[in-house]
Amino acid sequence: MARNDLPNRNLSQHDVSRRGFLGSAALAGAASFAANMRVLDALQTPTLAAELKRQQKSVILLWLAGGASQLETWDPKPGRITGGPFRAISTDIPSVQISELLPKMAQRMKTTAIIRSLNTRNGDHGGGTILMETGRAKEAAVDYPDLGALIARELGRADSQVPDYVSLYSETEGRHKGGAGFLGARYAPMFLSDSMIPPNIRRLDSISETDHTDRAAFQRLLAKQFQDRHPRSVVSSHGMAYERVRGLMSSETLFDVSQEPQSARDFYGPTQFQEQCLIARRLVEAGVPFVKVARAWWDSHGQNFETHRELCADLDQGMSALLDDLGQRGLLENTLVLTFGEFGRTPQINPSLGRDHFANAWSASLSGCGIKGGAVYGKTDADGHTVVEGEAKAGDLFATIFSAVGIDPTKEYQVGARPIPIVDFGCKAIPEILA
Amino acid sequence: MLRQFCWMLMVMVVMHRCADFAELLSAELLPAETPVEQAIDHYIQLQLDTKQKQPASLADESTLIRRTTLDLAGRIATLSEAQAYVAATETDKRSKLIERLMASPDFAYHFRNSLEGLLSDGQRNSPGEWREYLLKAIREHRPWDQMFREMMTGNEEDVAIKPALTFLRSRARDLDQLTNDTSSLFFGVNVSCAKCHDHPLVDDWKQEHYFGMSSFFQRIYLTKTNLVAEKFSGEVKYKTTKGEEKLARIMFLTGTVVEPPAVAKTPEQIKEENDAVHRQTQDDKAGPPPKPDFSPRAKLVELALQADQNHFFARNAVNRIWALYFGRGLVHPLDQMHSANPSTHPELLDWLSRDLVAHQYDLQRLIRGIVSSQAYGRSSVWDSAGDPPGPEQFGLALVRPLSSRQYSLSLRLASLNPDTMTATSAPEWVNRRDEFERNSDDLANQFEVPGENFQISVDEALLFNNSARMWDEFVRDDGGMLIGSLKQKADQSAQIETAFWAILGRAAMPAERSACEDFLTQKAANPVLGLRQFVWSLLASPELRFNH
Amino acid sequence: MSADPLKLAIAKTIRLKSIGFCIARLPQTERLFIGGSDFKVYEIDAGLEKPELIEFQGDGHQSYVMGSVVVGQQLITGGYDGQLIWWDLEQRRSVRTLAAHDRWIRKMVVSPDGKRIASVADDMLCKVWDVESGQLIHTLAGHKPETPHHFPSMLYAVAFSPDSQSIVTGDRTGHLVVWDAASGKSLAELEAPVMYTWDPKQRRHSIGGIRSVSFSADGQFVAAGGIGTIGNIDHLDGPSRVEIFNWRTQQRVHEISDPGYKGLVEQIVFPRQGNWFAFAGGDNGGFVSFYDASTGKLVHQLKMPMHVHGFVFNESEDTLYATGHDQVAVVTFKEAIPAPAAIPAEEPKPAS
Repeated sequence: MARNDLPNRNLSQHDVSRRGFLGSAALAGAASFAANMRVLDALQTPTLAAELKRQQKSVILLWLAGGASQLETWDPKPGRITGGPFRAISTDIPSVQISELLPKMAQRMKTTAIIRSLNTRNGDHGGGTILMETGRAKEAAVDYPDLGALIARELGRADSQVPDYVSLYSETEGRHKGGAGFLGARYAPMFLSDSMIPPNIRRLDSISETDHTDRAAFQRLLAKQFQDRHPRSVVSSHGMAYERVRGLMSSETLFDVSQEPQSARDFYGPTQFQEQCLIARRLVEAGVPFVKVARAWWDSHGQNFETHRELCADLDQGMSALLDDLGQRGLLENTLVLTFGEFGRTPQINPSLGRDHFANAWSASLSGCGIKGGAVYGKTDADGHTVVEGEAKAGDLFATIFSAVGIDPTKEYQVGARPIPIVDFGCKAIPEILA
Repeated sequence: MLRQFCWMLMVMVVMHRCADFAELLSAELLPAETPVEQAIDHYIQLQLDTKQKQPASLADESTLIRRTTLDLAGRIATLSEAQAYVAATETDKRSKLIERLMASPDFAYHFRNSLEGLLSDGQRNSPGEWREYLLKAIREHRPWDQMFREMMTGNEEDVAIKPALTFLRSRARDLDQLTNDTSSLFFGVNVSCAKCHDHPLVDDWKQEHYFGMSSFFQRIYLTKTNLVAEKFSGEVKYKTTKGEEKLARIMFLTGTVVEPPAVAKTPEQIKEENDAVHRQTQDDKAGPPPKPDFSPRAKLVELALQADQNHFFARNAVNRIWALYFGRGLVHPLDQMHSANPSTHPELLDWLSRDLVAHQYDLQRLIRGIVSSQAYGRSSVWDSAGDPPGPEQFGLALVRPLSSRQYSLSLRLASLNPDTMTATSAPEWVNRRDEFERNSDDLANQFEVPGENFQISVDEALLFNNSARMWDEFVRDDGGMLIGSLKQKADQSAQIETAFWAILGRAAMPAERSACEDFLTQKAANPVLGLRQFVWSLLASPELRFNH
Repeated sequence: MSADPLKLAIAKTIRLKSIGFCIARLPQTERLFIGGSDFKVYEIDAGLEKPELIEFQGDGHQSYVMGSVVVGQQLITGGYDGQLIWWDLEQRRSVRTLAAHDRWIRKMVVSPDGKRIASVADDMLCKVWDVESGQLIHTLAGHKPETPHHFPSMLYAVAFSPDSQSIVTGDRTGHLVVWDAASGKSLAELEAPVMYTWDPKQRRHSIGGIRSVSFSADGQFVAAGGIGTIGNIDHLDGPSRVEIFNWRTQQRVHEISDPGYKGLVEQIVFPRQGNWFAFAGGDNGGFVSFYDASTGKLVHQLKMPMHVHGFVFNESEDTLYATGHDQVAVVTFKEAIPAPAAIPAEEPKPAS
């Protein structure tokens, strides 16, 4: 089984992020670097290549909450009774067409791959969300971490000054915080729910900067006595959490779009989602390994076409600006941009001209880092009712995501006595869309 | 889905027709009349001796009253409680402390909160009536087997018992959750890994155990008005890994099978029954749901408490209560009670289980015994030479994060003027405690619920550092607050002493005292602000965050 | 005079293979022309015992067919493909195809004098065409391309006045413009903002819009139809809604909000005679409602077997032919109409 194939299993079993490990060493300077035999050992193992491959990689998930229609986005069925009114348009990849509601993305398919064959079966918002957030169905016995926490765990740096999992949601329907599950609160999201600035990241006006730092130093001093007498990991997590406060506070400006020139803001556009795409770029540029921008609410039981006309316009502008901007800054090759939600929508059109929940044949997109641009994987039938080629499960999508950013999808975690694979049993990456 | 390998070892202790549980055990164990705490210390010491390990010394008195108060009252001790305990000279002051706390209103609140957390498996926001039910049951000293019976088969028409069904009601839409949670929380057996396949290594552990357990719950449904009811029929079918479809037998974890009574029904009768059930699920005016003669869940209760089958129920209760006070179970993880994961102290577990059954599942007797033991009173600091005993040996107290509610309550208590907190035994304390309880909800929800691999989150540190709430609510300087009281003190050293006792329940050590003096002197330009920063730093200390 | 809305009854329903979005009728017959979600145009003779769907041939639409009118022996249709298509009724073939708009044509209508057609599309333009030549006569521009929340707006509704002199258009945000058909100048602007629900928090998109407009028989009033405020905009879960304006004074005279029948009002028709008007629409179901034109009070209404997207009257205005979700329905309301009760009209309210 995979466990035994892992060349770097020893290292991965230590509760030390190798990325953080090298990162700290680099910070500590050359002398201590050379003196640290473990680092030298690490440099001489095949681990290094994988390690370097993971350096500075990030994932941005554009979460289409409520379930976007695959027919109005990545898998149009023009002219079919299920197809709706919108046309399919040509893209910069001759063999690929997407919905005319995404004209800008149609010119950026060179960076983007599509999976058209997700069959995730769960058409319930709650269950579907958990499935697509964690890559596996909810289980009573194990609290699984979500994608953001897994990426934060794998790509985050122990000594990072910035958050390693930011979830931008705002006050929208279907808001789901997700969480770090068995990985623990260290990897829980910094969750922005009702403001564009994370909660409690800004110093109170009533406390001066000096007082704030003096106080933190004094707290640390008092805490040390207890920490020294209780060398336990749960106690040190308290110290680590307080240690991270000042760094996180200094990342406040990352969330402030007014720091960007007007031209950049115009480039992304004025909607909340488009501004959040800009924030996502700022965060990734500063080294945040996972950002989720949740765009709600696609649950178009009534007026599917009007809803998608609005939301696709928002998505098309925000996503294409994000890809362009990342590309221009040289970040796209290290940043994976994803779109999917909890499920897709029914091919059949209901009397309110809506589409309902549908998880049997729907689509996701993957752009940038590690992705074979222009690739399309899987196929649905002429009317979009079933997958006829390349059926993919949530876990296959997750394995593909991990592979794209250099995380071994056969990796396992040890939870108590139980080895738990990072992706669900029997799932594997889709090589056809990996670069 | 076919799972390639099983990642949980799951072995059943199959005792098909064994003798009475107590009988089976009596031969090798300490006499039944041994005081509980003595039995605990006997077996814990026995194993330390075997492993040639020394336990840590006993915790100092201020640590001991803090720990005991947190565990029995769900809050830190007040300044006056802590100082009085340390100053007291009676030799039986520890047992008096335990008696006082267990008789105090705090005990029922805290044990209710603990049970609520345990039975909700980490989920928050359980219904108010469920919390009220647990509180009342604990105040009445209701035996654990009776509570279990009420939770599984309580009468929806009995207003006092109806809330007990919350356990089923909140899970009734999800048979897997119902099966797994009941099995795990009441019997210590996580059966979920046997859902997809037979155990690959142990012959007697089959899918039929999982589906056998779900068969007890298969007929449960919720009516339109959200009542827990049972259908007249209903069987669990499952597919083996070979694709063969099987009908599950109603089977308890011991392997004992319940045969539903063979009653011949006409197709009309069956239709009538099905229609009645259908009406219940559709119509909110359908009246009380019909009660079938045969109730699988009632059979589960009957079997689980039967003298020759009750070892799962009793051992799990002991193990989970033990873990509440020691931070880990005699069997660990708590839901892995099987022969491949034996108890570290099998005789102790047996002795305590036998004692629990013999004393009508009196959990408070067990708790009293646990907190009275030497093992419970060990220090959490290892300052002897050599390696400390391992956590499974219970020779060194574990550091346990406070539950979110313990923490919220303790923060509130610590931040108040200690002069207003002097009468925690007075009758009016009930109302005050109730008020504390309600006021602690909101802040408690800001903290993570501690679970396995718990870590303090950076959100918590940010909350302490930068929320207006922490600063304005807990570090205010008016007369009702600790800082208000400190302002009245004559000198720095009295201020420091009071703050340490109020927040950490102990005197400041010399090094701490001088560091605090330095800080307050440095902030002398604005002494009130200086005091607020000082108190904040103590409130934000890990020492307050943990039970140690 | 034999129309009596109190006698509303469904006389016949005919299954379609797709969603019918628009319907036209050849005068003096029951030959109906329906455009729908399969991009096709069909003829159905509702007078036959077993009506059959006859598909029109030739260069057809490439998307949903949203408007159809009969002029003489020709049928003209418009669709989401931006095309206007002229069809020969007897040959049932397309005879002229015109790329009329860059974006989706939402509706097209013919002037009562039969000389002009007006089409509205998501380019937010109303274009007026010569029926005979297909020449563009006017482009009426004035509706904003974006909603106040930075989304693309949509221009759904258009109607001619009975004298063919004026045109009214209505958009997504509840904005109405009355135009002079001859000059193409704007004559009046009206607002019906309740028709547009923007959810700023939960879902962050909008729903609604003015979906139907009509002039009253005397040309004094403009009626606009849509849906009222919606709580959960995932569904068409709001009251069907019609607002009636005296367009010259820009005052709203009636406001009809019917929580009993939820959904969009897709079409409003005033008869040439009779002091009532009818509108129809729906959510997952459908309805047709008749109101007193003077009082704005309900006369009678009927649950329809489908969400109705369009309907037309017969000559005697005692039967309507409706199309919608997978069906055509023939609804009759015959016999004498009692004199409406003498209820005073509501005090005119200023348009909001």
